[in-house]
Amino acid sequence: MTRAEAQAVLEQAVSRASGREIEAVLGGGTAELTRFANNEITQNVSERRYVLSIRVARGRKTGRATGNDLSREGIARLQAQADAAAALSPEIPDLLPVPAPQTYRTVDGTDPETASLGPDARAREVARAVAICRAAGVNAAGIYETGAGTIGDYGVVSPLAIANSAGLFAYHQSTDASFRISAMDGTASGWAGAESHRAGDIDGGALADRAVGKCVGSRAPASWEPGRYTVVLEPAAVADLIQDMSWISLGALAVQEGRSFLSGRIGTRVMGENVTLRDDPYHPLHRGCPFDAEGVPTRPVTIIERGMAVSPVYDRQTAAKDGVESTGHGLPVPNPIGPLATSLVLEGGEGEVEDLIAGVERGLLVTRVWYTNVVDPMTVTLTGMTRDGLFAIEGGKVTGAVRNFRFNQSIVQMLHEVEAMSRVQRIEGVVCPGLRIRSFHMSSGTEF
Amino acid sequence: MSDLARLALDEATRRGAGYADARLLDQNREDLLVKNGQVASLEQTESRGLGVRVLVNGAWGYAATDELTKDGAAACAARAVAIGRASASVLAKPVRLAPEPPQTAVWSSPCAVDPFTVPLERKLDLLLAVDAGLRGVRGVTIAESGLTFVRKRQRFLSSEGSDIDQTILRSGGGYSATAVAGNEVQRRSFPQAEGYHQTRGWEFIESVPWVAEAPRIAEEAVALLRADQCPHGEFDVILEGSQLALQIHESVGHPTELDRVLGMEANYAGTSFLTLDKKGTLRFGSPKVNLVADATLPDGLATFAFDDEGVAAQRWHIVRDGMFEGYLTSRELAHTVGDNRSRGCVRADGWNHIPMIRMVNLSLMPGAGSLDDLLGDTDHGIYMETNRSWSIDQLRYNFQFKTEIAWEVKRGKRIRMLKNPTYQGITPQFWNSCDFVCGTEAWRPWSVVNCGKGQPGQVAEMTHGAAPARFRAVKVGAGYEDD
Repeated sequence: MTRAEAQAVLEQAVSRASGREIEAVLGGGTAELTRFANNEITQNVSERRYVLSIRVARGRKTGRATGNDLSREGIARLQAQADAAAALSPEIPDLLPVPAPQTYRTVDGTDPETASLGPDARAREVARAVAICRAAGVNAAGIYETGAGTIGDYGVVSPLAIANSAGLFAYHQSTDASFRISAMDGTASGWAGAESHRAGDIDGGALADRAVGKCVGSRAPASWEPGRYTVVLEPAAVADLIQDMSWISLGALAVQEGRSFLSGRIGTRVMGENVTLRDDPYHPLHRGCPFDAEGVPTRPVTIIERGMAVSPVYDRQTAAKDGVESTGHGLPVPNPIGPLATSLVLEGGEGEVEDLIAGVERGLLVTRVWYTNVVDPMTVTLTGMTRDGLFAIEGGKVTGAVRNFRFNQSIVQMLHEVEAMSRVQRIEGVVCPGLRIRSFHMSSGTEF
Repeated sequence: MSDLARLALDEATRRGAGYADARLLDQNREDLLVKNGQVASLEQTESRGLGVRVLVNGAWGYAATDELTKDGAAACAARAVAIGRASASVLAKPVRLAPEPPQTAVWSSPCAVDPFTVPLERKLDLLLAVDAGLRGVRGVTIAESGLTFVRKRQRFLSSEGSDIDQTILRSGGGYSATAVAGNEVQRRSFPQAEGYHQTRGWEFIESVPWVAEAPRIAEEAVALLRADQCPHGEFDVILEGSQLALQIHESVGHPTELDRVLGMEANYAGTSFLTLDKKGTLRFGSPKVNLVADATLPDGLATFAFDDEGVAAQRWHIVRDGMFEGYLTSRELAHTVGDNRSRGCVRADGWNHIPMIRMVNLSLMPGAGSLDDLLGDTDHGIYMETNRSWSIDQLRYNFQFKTEIAWEVKRGKRIRMLKNPTYQGITPQFWNSCDFVCGTEAWRPWSVVNCGKGQPGQVAEMTHGAAPARFRAVKVGAGYEDD
């Protein structure tokens, strides 16, 4: 949807405020995904969807209605439903008025070729990857996904444009492409993935080569005992762990409610001196949205600087409580979650993952992790599995495959024990390096 | 509006689809959430759209749109066919659908009182009363309570002649108390973690003692701050029903999805240790273990008349007397296990997503005896209640769960409360260690409403009936051991 089209929808949505406040958020676009397994395309889908969410506030009472009927009647119905809900809602004492018009940084996150990429082009890229896997005698499974707009995984739609009755208007268009491939041979597997706002950056053949190499290397794994090991975590593994930490710890509400490791520790050392973690949608690898769900401009935030806790990310409500300005990380108001850091950047080094491996006398190389979940929120202890390539490192070289482990590891402690970092890449929505960790707890084994 | 579905089918067939189906959905949802005495969400959501699925030269294409006009429906069908044609360019074997007679039906899940007609004030009054009950206990830091109502009306048409109008309504809710002190964050939930739901109306909400249980839940959350740490080692473990429900979901339900078994989820959720050679040969659990898939279960969250391929709801054993018997199947994959008919397990979470194999209701059949009988039969063990976190490997062998609360049991009695209980195991070993399943009086239809699967991800809901059960010599304490 163009800026003018979005503006036309939102102007109607925030019209006839007559003493009330109205905020309207429009999200959506197109999302297309080609899925393959066993060396053939097994699913292939396309979705076109726009969602309008209208919030009406009557003083400190507020209600919301959301729908995808963008006709004049549909918009009027949402407005009436939101208004009726606001009338019935109890007052929210710390509900803030909608923000005034804002100024936003421009983010170039759109690629016309990606926006128009069709199923034939995706099939050709998949065919290249499948051919490589077939030639190697393994099975390919994966996805090639492209989209224009803000439809995310699990159908979640984030803001494309926002307007309110105070005259605010914000619009951000973006495209995305991602390719992920698993090469499978029985219980041996290898994985590779890439993502960008440009489909032209995706090289399915190169990713297939990488996945095949990992799969072939994963055959006949050795059994190592559970215990603490020096590990090299590839960027995909780091991204998963850092993102989980972010969900439960890096927003100001978690800090204010005392359920974050940052609670009471701002200004103190919480991680190793070589760890700097930011949230920055303007990073060239992110090219994210320059505003949050209330239309507040998103600012880059340094969360951890050389191991010192600097600041969580804020929305307007939590910022008001702490007497600071919002950093523009808010979700739709009201919500029980508080602000979230969603454009994470963990600063890295100069070398490659191979350089990290070279410094390990005896340890493990972790391609990625799977099914992570929180065991202990205050220490950010996560459990999860290694997956798609766990390798022995001996004498600075990869010497063979190892059976997968379950880990139970405090991520805060892990970030005290970073020995070295590779250069950063964007993977799984996070910009981060590979890490060499002195001691990482592999707690139990599995059958493969 | 069903004319649009018909138009889409005709357009898809005209453009070369060998098979086509169209689903036209109208979905309404209401979410209410109260946190610490304030409304944290009050939202009504509606979503309408059309999804068209086609087979072109034996390959799948799917397109979905919310442009509900003749042009929009025709364009959607054309896009589905173009996608199917592209899929056929990377195809090993054409899809072969198991035969299914065309169905014409109108069906609705039972509902005595439509929750969408119940005034918002009444719903908020209930949540605010729960909130007061939770925050009336000193030491509670966060009180959260919520209600959710969902109605999905779907018209399913297929090029084989099916025409099914199906409405499924569900109601549910739940609450939690969180207590925070120092480095401890403890939580208790009621009736279970992530909410308790059924395909019933407001009468279901009125059948649950929401307000009466709030003080106990809050007191337990606060008491956990001072409780002893759950020990580390090997113990007999007794799982309360809602925790066992999630154990069933993760270690029985997902590994029996036939698309997973055949590698079609390999890049995301993984595959399964229940390979085709295990059917009829693997001792999955002890003879006490009987697991039944049932899309006809009264009030179940995956209870329907027909699945999203137009296949009638069925009931069958997955595990009988401990032996592994069967899978969750679709029309596309039934033939791979020698079946000439799908088990009817295909669902989508909306018009915008393609239907795929999803768990139906899957329950552990009751044994005999009450929870007191089970505790009384236990010399030394740990009784764990209410899920807090979960994780399982990509073949569904190694799992680890944490529950909100536990009690040490000695000589048949609970002797002390324990905090941060975790247990870990390997699926077939774990189910083979089951030696006691409580009876009908302790059996409840527990809910899962956040089951993620697929690329793009979809969220499904289902019911897992379970009564408390005992498992021998289980590893306890992962994540908190001194090592």
